[in-house]
Formats: sequence, structure tokens, C-alpha cells
Amino acid sequence: MEQPVSIAPLITFRIAFGLLMLFSTLRYIWLGWVDTQLVEPILHFSYYGFDWVQPLSRVGMYAIFIIMALACLAIVLGWYYRLSATLFFLCFTYVELIDITYYLNHYYFVSIVAFLLIWVPANRDFSLDIIRRPQLRQKMVSRWCIDIFKLQIAIVYCYAGLAKINYDWLFRALPLSIWLPAKTSVPVIGFIFQYKITAYIFSWMGMLFDTLIIAGLLNKKTRLLAYFGVVVFHTLTGILFQIGIFPLVMIFVVTLFFSTALHERFLDQLARFLKSSPTQQNIQSNSPVRSANRLLYPFLILFLVFQLVFPWRYLAYPENLFWTEEGYRFSWRVMLMEKAGTATFYVKSGKDGQEGSVINHQFLNAHQEKQMAMQPDLILQFAHYLKNHFAEKGMKDPRVRAEVWVTLNGRPAQLLIDPTIDLTKKNDTWVHKDWILPFKEDTLR
Amino acid sequence: MTISTLFQGRKFQGQFLLSLMMTWGLFSCDDNNSDMLDPGFDRGALLESVANQLIIPNFESLQASVDDLAQAADAFVQTTNEGNLIVLRSAWSQAVRDHQHCSAFGFGPANLLLGPYAEVLAVFPVNEQKVEQNVLNPNFDLPNSFDRDIRGFYAVEYLIYGKEISSAELIAGFDQNRKDYLMLIVGELKSTFDNIVKEWDTSYLQEFINSDGTSAGSSISLYYNSFVKDYENLKNFKVELPAGLTAGQTGPDGTLVEAFYSGISSDLIVEHFENSKNIWLGLSRSGQDIIGFEEYLESVVGGTELIANTRDALDQIDMAMANIPQGRLSDYVGSDQVKTLRDQLQANTANFKSSISSLLGISITFNSGDGD
Repeated sequence: MEQPVSIAPLITFRIAFGLLMLFSTLRYIWLGWVDTQLVEPILHFSYYGFDWVQPLSRVGMYAIFIIMALACLAIVLGWYYRLSATLFFLCFTYVELIDITYYLNHYYFVSIVAFLLIWVPANRDFSLDIIRRPQLRQKMVSRWCIDIFKLQIAIVYCYAGLAKINYDWLFRALPLSIWLPAKTSVPVIGFIFQYKITAYIFSWMGMLFDTLIIAGLLNKKTRLLAYFGVVVFHTLTGILFQIGIFPLVMIFVVTLFFSTALHERFLDQLARFLKSSPTQQNIQSNSPVRSANRLLYPFLILFLVFQLVFPWRYLAYPENLFWTEEGYRFSWRVMLMEKAGTATFYVKSGKDGQEGSVINHQFLNAHQEKQMAMQPDLILQFAHYLKNHFAEKGMKDPRVRAEVWVTLNGRPAQLLIDPTIDLTKKNDTWVHKDWILPFKEDTLR
Repeated sequence: MTISTLFQGRKFQGQFLLSLMMTWGLFSCDDNNSDMLDPGFDRGALLESVANQLIIPNFESLQASVDDLAQAADAFVQTTNEGNLIVLRSAWSQAVRDHQHCSAFGFGPANLLLGPYAEVLAVFPVNEQKVEQNVLNPNFDLPNSFDRDIRGFYAVEYLIYGKEISSAELIAGFDQNRKDYLMLIVGELKSTFDNIVKEWDTSYLQEFINSDGTSAGSSISLYYNSFVKDYENLKNFKVELPAGLTAGQTGPDGTLVEAFYSGISSDLIVEHFENSKNIWLGLSRSGQDIIGFEEYLESVVGGTELIANTRDALDQIDMAMANIPQGRLSDYVGSDQVKTLRDQLQANTANFKSSISSLLGISITFNSGDGD
């Protein structure tokens, strides 16, 4: 793990990741999402155990995004690198934790990468930090500094691939049979999506791609082909689905698997392009690879064990994972099912009060409502919010129940939870929610 | 180190599969399985059909009846008598019926500065106090007012029906200030619908038909989302709220019905639901067959089941509507029949709201972040 290897891949990785995050941060501001997703909503849905994370005022939120953008820029330039990486990690993760309805596996991935970047010396070459302090410069790093990212990327792809090995995905080509025919207006290739067979081919291709791509990238002989595959795959998903900049992120982070020589050549060319680069000036100063902190190995092992084990926690729950979503998140289950619900909440005062229904969009934006209406833990959160809301308005002992009809992969809608249960009496825990009704599987022709 | 050794033995396999994926991806359309190659649904045809045979004709009817309304208002203002009042009321009643067949199309040119036109020009209950203030205010500036409950169809209704007064009393009290205000808000209605029809006829029709994707902002997404919102408005604001069945209410409130002053609320609910059905079934207002969501659903996974469920639910709603007592809805808002209607409208909500979009892959919102 401490075997010295060239620092070049880590440098390219730092620059590419920084640029992408800079772009992503500016894009988020430009699309007005700071306002629509963070400032305007009346309430936010919390991550389990993180309900203390609340948005700041509008000015505060914009300040966070400006700090985030500056931190990205500093990461690219390698300027006060460790501080910048820490700031970026904190700001990004803070924003991510504000509202779980915006949860994306990719955001989780960015958080992890940002966290790991804090601990690696990705500023020891090609950076403003080594102009400030030339003695910091090093040409080699311990092998783990690069391999930890490779492993993380490998986990993402492999787990995403394993998750696709299920009956609906492979043998019914669901949800792609639903999503692809909706994409016939895509330029040039759109016409192929009207055919059923396309969804089957794409389903199998997607599964094979995710499970095998890392092997392809690790092997020198298949690397170029595999990378071509990465570009084609992510470009396709980028065109087909609303997944923002993440295809681009994957296309760039995967370059970490390229040979050291390639990264060095790239950096040389970049240096020549930038003319007066520090690389040329300080070629002789070469601080040795620092020996690892004693806490490093336990930390790395802990981190990896968590990454490897946590996605399997769903096995500890009964019932269908897609239906209950208990153990669904943080497991690299990406674009895996088509699920949608309509949730109607009924509030009454005490046992015998008159029951009235709630107009969801008076409290939630369309995105929040859509996400809430199919996820039991979020339904519970909203019920508790309603209880407090009506209690504040003077209602005595508000009770809340919900009738939630959910369709999964094209099946006729079924009731997701027991519509008679008073949700204010239930709390979210790690234990299975016994008020989720069983999923009737065979309702699809 | 670990991973590479783990996978080394599989490299040929990997290589083979990768190249297979690529060739498959590029030439997948060459396959010959006929069932697998069933051509899909033509969204462009649906858009063209609903635009030309449902949306535009309905807006044209509304434009014509609003034009009649403007003329009748003008005549009434010139000669304020019983005869002209009857003509005016009947013109208003026609216009507001026509509006029921357009309220679901509040996108494109019908999405005004303050939002979809129905949420601006067809808001109820009317803020009577504010209307009276505006009537007395010679400097009232309608175009720069953001109030929605002082303008549009139901503010006109308030002026020309009055609240609990006879037509003789109404005519006697219809002074110049009221006449000016009536002409002001009728004028806004007329220019709005003239403009909506003009925009549809000139540029928007082509834009609507050409945008045949399913992402947020595509025509099908606009059309579908407006349809659902409009259906929910019918349930929430025309039935549930007056019936006192919204959370936090303590009882029914007849003054919350649509068209409270004229008392034609029940008729309007029926017309409104008629238009929802037309959109779903694919029927023009006059009953000609066009392309609806039902036909679109026939072509997709799970569509048949949803169609059957929805048809049942729609029949139940029709029955519940037929059972609403004749006369002013405001007198019956607390009745069991109204509650049943709410329940039946509610029972169909999931069919329209989440199931259609899920099966058809239509985006609900621009703001869907970055996907999954």
C-alpha cells in the first residue's frame, strides 16, 4: 500500500474533479436551484439522524455556493489545497443533507470522493501550493492514495451492476421498457427506442457493462476499448435521462485507470500550454514519500468495510426492497425502477373529529411531492410535519393517516401503507416498518 | 492489485462482452423479431390531434363567448335595464361554461404573467370587499394589480348577479363606478382570450406539435401536467373545500363554491369533468374521436390494466355527479352526495396523477434535480 507510484494520475484527477465540481456548482446556481430546491420550500425532508441540518437564509445559501465554487477553483489550482478540499466537502455535504428528496447516488459519490481528497497529497505537484512552498513538491505518492479512488469507483460500478441482476430488469426489461419508448424524439437514434427489443438489449448491456467495466479498465489490453465503452454508455444515459453532469463526471474520473505514462504526458502538455509552469522550474526538488500515519490503515480498512457492507443491509429487512425501500439508498442502485405514487393525507382532531384531506402542493413543491409519495419514511416525515402544523393552528390531538397508491415498474397501483394507521404514532427507526403493506408481485401481465 | 488479479482470468470474456455490447448497441434495429419490433406510439399525432381538435376549438368557443360577453356588457352599460341584464347574464353563463373546457390547457399562450389563466381569471371565492374598494377607487390600476380574486369571470359574476339582491335592486345600484369596473374586467378577459387564440393560430401550434419529447417542458409534459392539476383543482377547490372536507376545516361552507352568485356551480362541475374525460378518452367537445391518453396507454407496459381501472373510476364519478341534488350547490355542500362525489374523484386521482406519468415516462417537473 505504501509502494511509491507516480503522482501524475492523482494530479489529473484533482484537476478534472475540481473543474467538474466548479461547473456543477455554477450550473446549480445558474439553474436557480438554490432558490427552488433549498430556499423556497416550506419544509425539507431530512436524512435519518440529520434533522438538525437546516437551510440557511437565501443570502446564507448563496454564500455557501460561492464558497463552494471558490473551493473548487482552489482545488483545481492546488491553492491551500487541504483547506479547500475540506471546505468543498463540508459545503457540498451540507447542501446534500438539507433535503433527502434530492438524494442522488451521484451526490453521495461526490461527497465520498471529496472526503477522500482531503487525505491525499493531491497538491504536491502542478499546484500553487508548491509555488508557495517548493519543498512540498513530490513526484511519487503511496500507492493507496490512488488505489482508494479506484476501489471506490469499482464499488460503484460493480454494485450498480449487481443491483441490475433482478427479474424485472433482465427478463421484463423493466423499467427500460417504460423509459425508452418515451425517448423516440431523441435526434438520430430516437427511432430505435420504439422497439421492444431495444429495451432488452439495453438492460442486458447495462448490467454487463456495470459488472465488467472495471475488469476491462484494469487490463491494459482492453483498457482503450473499455474506455470507449464508458464514453458511449455514459453519453447514451446522458442523452436519454435527466441526470445532469454526472455522465461527464464518470467519463472523467474513470481516466484514473489510465497508465501513469499517459497522465504524465497529459500534464507535460498542459504545462507546456500554460508556459511558465512550476513543473519545469523545480524539477530537482523532490520531497520523499511521507510514511503513513499510524491511524491510516485502520481508517482505510474501516472505510472500505463500510463501503462493501452497508449496501447489503437490505438483506436484513423482510419484504421487497423496491417496494419498502428499506436499505435502498447509499447502495449504488441507479436508475433501477420506475416508481410513482399518489399520497393523500387525512387529518382529524382526536378519535372522532371530522376528517379532512390535505392539499399536498400547498406544502411541497412538485419534486418533493413526487419523491415523498412513494417512500414510506418520507411519508412518515410529512405526516409528522402535518401533525405539528395543525397542532400549531390550534387543532387538538391531530391524527394523520395516508392513502398511498403506488405503481412499481408499470404494475397497477397498490396501497403502499396501511391507510387506517395513525402515522403520528409511528416513528422512523432502523427496524422494519410493519405498517408497509406487502407487495403483490404478480400483477403484471 | 487485488482487483486486477481477481479479474485477470476473465479478460477475454470481458473483451468479448464489451465488443458485443457495442455492436448490439449500434445495430439493435436490425433484429427481426416481429413482436419485439412493434412500432410504438406516435406522440406527434396525439399532439396534433388534441391541438387542432380539442384545445384550439375550445379556446375559439371561449373567445367567441367572451366576445359576446363584452358586447352584452357594453349594451348593459349603455342601457342599464332588465332585458340587457338577462342577455348579459346569459352571455356570462355561456362564457364560464366554455371556460370549463379550456381550464386544463393553461400552458403556452394561456400561461399568463401571473400563472395559468384559470388561476388568474377564474378565481373564487371573489374578494367582495376588495372589489367594492376598487369600484370606488378612480385610480385603480388593473394591469398592475396582482390580486386574482378581484378580476376575471367570477368578479364579473359578482357585479352582475350581486349578493342576495333582486335584479331591480341591482340595476338601481349599478352606478357609473360599477359600470367602469365591469368594463375594465370584461376588457381584460376579452384581450386575454383574443391573444391566446391568436398565439395558438400563429406560432404556438407548430411549437407545440414539434416538441414531441417527454422531458420537462415538452408538450406532452405540459399537456399532461396541466390536465392533472386541473383535475385536482376540480376535486380540491370545486368540491372538497366547499364541502368542508379539507384538513383543518370544521364544516361545509357554501360560499366557497364556484359561481356562488349565479348558482350554476353543479353545471360547471359537470362541464369541467366532461373536459377531463375528453382529454383522457380522446374526444373533441362535440364528441368526435381524437387521440387521448387512453390510446397512448394502450401501447405501453401495464396500460391495459390502468385503462380498465380508470374507466371504472370514471363511471363511478359520473354516477356520483348524477346524484347531486338539483339547484344551488351551495345549499347542499354538506350532503352525503357531495361527499360521495369527492370520494369518487379522489379514488381516481392516483390513476391520473401518478400512474399515467409513470407508465408513459412523462416528466412531472423541471426541477427533478439530476435524475436518479
